[in-house]
Amino acid sequence: MMQAAWRAFLRGLTAPIRLWRGSLLTRTVAITVTLSGMAVTVIGGYMSLTIADSLFTGRSDQILSETARAAATAQSLFDNSVTPAGTIDVETANTAAQTAIRSAQSSPGGSGFAILRTPGQITPQTMTSTSTAGLDLSVVTTELRSRVVADPDQIHYQSVLVTVQGEQRPGLVSAAALQVPSAGQYELYLIYDLVDVQNTLTLIQQTLIAGSLALVVTIGVVTFFVVRLAIGPVRRAAQTAERLAQGFLEERLFEKGEDVIAVLARSFNKMADSMQGQIVKLATLSQVQQRFVSDVSHELRTPLTTIRLAGDVLHEQRETFSAENARTLELLITQIERFEIMLTDLLEMSRYDAGAVALEVDEVNLVALVEDCLDQLSPLATQKGSNLVVDVRGGYGESEVDQRRIRRIILNFVGNAIDHGEGRPIVTFVDSNEEAVAIAVRDWGVGMSPDQVERVFDRFWRADPSRQRTTGGTGLGLAIASEDALAHGGRIDVWSEKGQGSCFRLTIPRTPLAPWRDSPLPLPPESDAIDSYLAAEDSSRGAFA
Amino acid sequence: MTARILVVDDDVALAEMISIVLRGEGYIPHQAFDGQDALAQIPEVKPDLVLLDVMLPGLDGIEVCTRIREFSGVPIIMLTAKGDTTDVVKGLESGADDYVVKPFNPKELVARIRTRLRPSSEGANSVISVGDITIDVPAHEVRRGEDRINLTPLEFDLLLALALKPQQVFTREMLLEQVWGYHYKADTRLVNVHVQRLRAKVEIDPDNPLIVQTVRGVGYRAGESVGQADSDS
Repeated sequence: MMQAAWRAFLRGLTAPIRLWRGSLLTRTVAITVTLSGMAVTVIGGYMSLTIADSLFTGRSDQILSETARAAATAQSLFDNSVTPAGTIDVETANTAAQTAIRSAQSSPGGSGFAILRTPGQITPQTMTSTSTAGLDLSVVTTELRSRVVADPDQIHYQSVLVTVQGEQRPGLVSAAALQVPSAGQYELYLIYDLVDVQNTLTLIQQTLIAGSLALVVTIGVVTFFVVRLAIGPVRRAAQTAERLAQGFLEERLFEKGEDVIAVLARSFNKMADSMQGQIVKLATLSQVQQRFVSDVSHELRTPLTTIRLAGDVLHEQRETFSAENARTLELLITQIERFEIMLTDLLEMSRYDAGAVALEVDEVNLVALVEDCLDQLSPLATQKGSNLVVDVRGGYGESEVDQRRIRRIILNFVGNAIDHGEGRPIVTFVDSNEEAVAIAVRDWGVGMSPDQVERVFDRFWRADPSRQRTTGGTGLGLAIASEDALAHGGRIDVWSEKGQGSCFRLTIPRTPLAPWRDSPLPLPPESDAIDSYLAAEDSSRGAFA
Repeated sequence: MTARILVVDDDVALAEMISIVLRGEGYIPHQAFDGQDALAQIPEVKPDLVLLDVMLPGLDGIEVCTRIREFSGVPIIMLTAKGDTTDVVKGLESGADDYVVKPFNPKELVARIRTRLRPSSEGANSVISVGDITIDVPAHEVRRGEDRINLTPLEFDLLLALALKPQQVFTREMLLEQVWGYHYKADTRLVNVHVQRLRAKVEIDPDNPLIVQTVRGVGYRAGESVGQADSDS
C-alpha cells in the first residue's frame, strides 16, 4: 500500500518534470510568469506601503491642524472669559469651549472629544471634565496623557483602535493642553475614526493585487504566444531534420522573409542540399563501382569463352602433341577453369553488392543435400586421406531453401575442411529444431588463431597463403557463403583453435527470413565416437604421445 | 544431311572459334555479327539452327529472337553471359528454345545443338489427339478442326512428348530430359516458359488450359482426348 502510494506520488512528480524537460514552451512560460510575478509583488508591495503612508500622513496632518485650531479657539475662549474683575465663570466658559471645539472638529471621522483635568493640581477652582456622550475614554491612554503633561506646548497624537458600533476600527487620538484661568491645566483629546482611510487603502490594495494578477496572467499568455511563434519554425526545422535523418532527402523548410528564422531556414536548406548532394554522389559512386565490377566480369566472359573453346579444341588433339606441349596445354586448361570459377564468384559477389539477389526457394531435404555434397567431394577427401563422416541428428524434414546456394555453402565448408584438415576425419553434423536447421562441419586440422577467425569472411583473405590449395578456392568462398546465409535470414558461426581444428556452422530458418533464436547445434558439436576414433588414430600413428 | 548453323555474335573471335568447333563436328557454320545482319541472312542461308548472343550492338538478342519468331520456327539457342534470372527468362519468353551460359565448353554446346537438331517423334507414325486438337506426327502438323496451328519444333516436341503418354504425369525434370536432352538437373524455367508459350498457341483459354494441364506440385500432363471428331464436348 505504502509503496503503491509512493509510486503514485513519484508518478505525480515525474509528469510535471517530464513536461518541464520536454517542452521549451512550458519552461519559458513558467519562468516568465514566476519572474514577472516576483517583480509585480515587489513593486505592488512598495506602492501599497507608499500609498498607505501618504494617506495616513495626509490625514494625520489634517487632524493635527484641526486639533491645534480647536485648542487655540478653546484657549482664547477661556482667556476671554476672565472678567475685568479677574473672575471667571469656568463652567460657562467650558460650555462655550465645547461648542467651539465641536464645530472645529469638522473633518470626517471625528467621533468625539474629551476635556480632562490634568491630575495632581491644586487650583482655586475646578472645572468639570467632560467628554462626548458614549465615548469610550479607554482609547485615551495614560501614555498619551503623560506625554501631554510632559510637553503641554505641543500637539500630540497616538494611533489607537476605536470601537464604533461594536466593531473595532483604526483611529487616531490627538491631544493638546488647555490652560484654564484659575482652574489650572486641562487636556483636550480629539478622537478620530480612520475607517475611511482604511477603506480607501484596502480598495487600493485590492485593485493593486487584481491588477498585478491580471498583468502576470497577461504576460504569461503573451509569452506563450510569442514563444510559440518563435518556436514554431524551430519545431518545423526539428521535424524536417528528423525526416532527413530518416532518409527523406527531399525534405526542405519553407523560406519566407528576411528575419533570423528565414536565415535559419535558408541555411538549413543549404545544408540539406549539400548533404543530399554528397549522399547521392556517394551512392552513385558506389553504384558505378558495383556496375564496373559487374561489367568487367561480363566483358571478360566472352574472351574467356573463346579461350576455353580454343583450349578444348587443342585438348582433343593432345595425342599429337609432345609431352612438353601436352603438359603446357593441361596447365592452360586448369588455369582457364580457375579463372572461370573466379569470375563466377566475382559476379556473384557483385550481385550481392548490388542487392540484386533473389532466392529460388525449393522444398529441400538437407540430409540428402549434405550426402550429395559429400559424395561429390569424397574423391578429393580420399586423395587427402580424410574420412568424410555424417552425423545426422535431425533435419530429415523438408526445409524451404535455395538449394544451389546451400549446396555452395556446404561444398565450401567441406572443401575448406579437406584443405586444412591434415588428413584427419571430417564430420558433418545436421540437426534441426522448430525454427531452424543447422549444418556444421568440423575438422581436426590446423585450426586458426582468434585474429584469423575474425578475418575469415573477408574477401580474398587466406589463412595461410603458402598453403597448397586443392579445391581451387578463389578467396571469395566464405564471403559468398556468408551472403548466402544472410539472404536466407541465417548466419554462419565459426569456432576454431590453433592445432585443434575448426568448425563452421550454418544456421538458417526453416523458411527464408523467418525469425529464429537458437541454433539446433552447439559450436562445436560434441561427438564421442569421433573423439575416440581420433584418439585411436593418433596412437596408431604415434603422432601424439 | 549436314545442318547449317547461323552463329550470331558481335565478338569476331568467339564467332570464329565457335565456327571452328562446329566445323569440327561436321556442321556448316555461317556467321552474322549483328542483329540486322542475322535477320537478313536467315532467308537466304535457311539455317537449321541459330546460335544467338544476347548482348548485341543495336538490336539486342532478345529483340532479334522475337523478330525471327515472327516468320520462322527455327531452333534458337541463346548464348548468354548473364546467369541472371531476368535475362534468361526474357530470352526464353521471346522464343529461344534453350540457352547456354558463357563460358561454356565445346561438349556442352554441341550436346545442346544435337538435341535441337535430332529428328523428333521417333516411332510414332500416326495421328494422335489431345483435347480437341489432333497431332499429325509424320506431317509435323497440329490442327484444331480444320485450322492448322503453327508450332516451333520444340513446342511440337513438347506437346508430342505429353501426348504420347496421355496417362502419365511428367515432372519438369522428365521433360527437361526428354525434350531438351538434359541428363542432369537443369533450369526448370525452360519448361515453365515453353509450356506458357505452347498454351498460348494451342489453348482456347490459356488461363484455363485443357490441352496441357498442370498437376499441382508435380508437373504437367496432356488433356484427355475429347473424341475423335464430334462426340460430345
